[in-house]
Amino acid sequence: MESKPRWLNILDIVTLLLFITAVGMVFLYAPLEAVMGQVQRVFYFHVANAWVGMLGFMVAAFAGIAFLRKGDRMWDIVGMAAVEISFVFFFIAIVSGSIWARGSWGTWWTWDPRLTTAAIVELVYAAYLMLRQGIEDPDRRARFGAVYAILSFVSVPLTFISIRIFRTIHPVIIGSGAAGAEGSFDMTPKMLQTFMFSLLTFSFIFADLLWHRIRLGRLADQAENLKIKVLQ
Amino acid sequence: MFIAMLQQAPAETTRYMVAGYTVIFSVMMLYIISLIIRRRNLKRDLEMLNEMETKEK
Repeated sequence: MESKPRWLNILDIVTLLLFITAVGMVFLYAPLEAVMGQVQRVFYFHVANAWVGMLGFMVAAFAGIAFLRKGDRMWDIVGMAAVEISFVFFFIAIVSGSIWARGSWGTWWTWDPRLTTAAIVELVYAAYLMLRQGIEDPDRRARFGAVYAILSFVSVPLTFISIRIFRTIHPVIIGSGAAGAEGSFDMTPKMLQTFMFSLLTFSFIFADLLWHRIRLGRLADQAENLKIKVLQ
Repeated sequence: MFIAMLQQAPAETTRYMVAGYTVIFSVMMLYIISLIIRRRNLKRDLEMLNEMETKEK
């Protein structure tokens, strides 16, 4: 069993410090929004969680391509790790968005294009995780995972652009939103700094968790191979 | 005073903010704990499998 790399220890500490700072900025530095009030603070980590979700699904698609080209099992471990982390963070984004919607729109859920496509993305990747569990043969599982991760990634940019091409009440943060968007607000410099810092922090959290999850995946691979060897 | 009356106070939405961050922090924490537990279990499995392999030899 390999020992924990020094750089991973450093990344753990840097990520923790960034996270503490980001939390401090959200609650102490960013000003109170004039219309929505305190619930607007959910926005900083809600968007950052969605960002990690989309980033990880993209990493999984690239890992899928790399696996199909090179056949290296390492890429399967990377893809699986990225999907699992993104699935968790995208789930947080959906739930925190729903809570924000209750405070801002007065409803927990509406079948708006953004909310609907986000729910579809989450279900698509839930199916990825469940279907992988059902395949015994590691090579077949890796091939299936690679193809699925590439194909399912189509749903991710669709979610991103849904608020830009359809009539929607979901606010657009970057660029201009639809006329019917509710809950939009003008970001003050302090809000923008907090928002950008949260995105940076969550990128570090993703990198850190991905490294840990890849190490876990390698350990699981090792255990699986040894189990096959012992049983034979 | 008249101007102050015209200005609308922000909506009282503190409980939604608390609920939102409770979900965010709890789920993140649970995921990290799950990684730690799975790693510990896998290490135990590996030790056991290594022992079994050595005994077979």
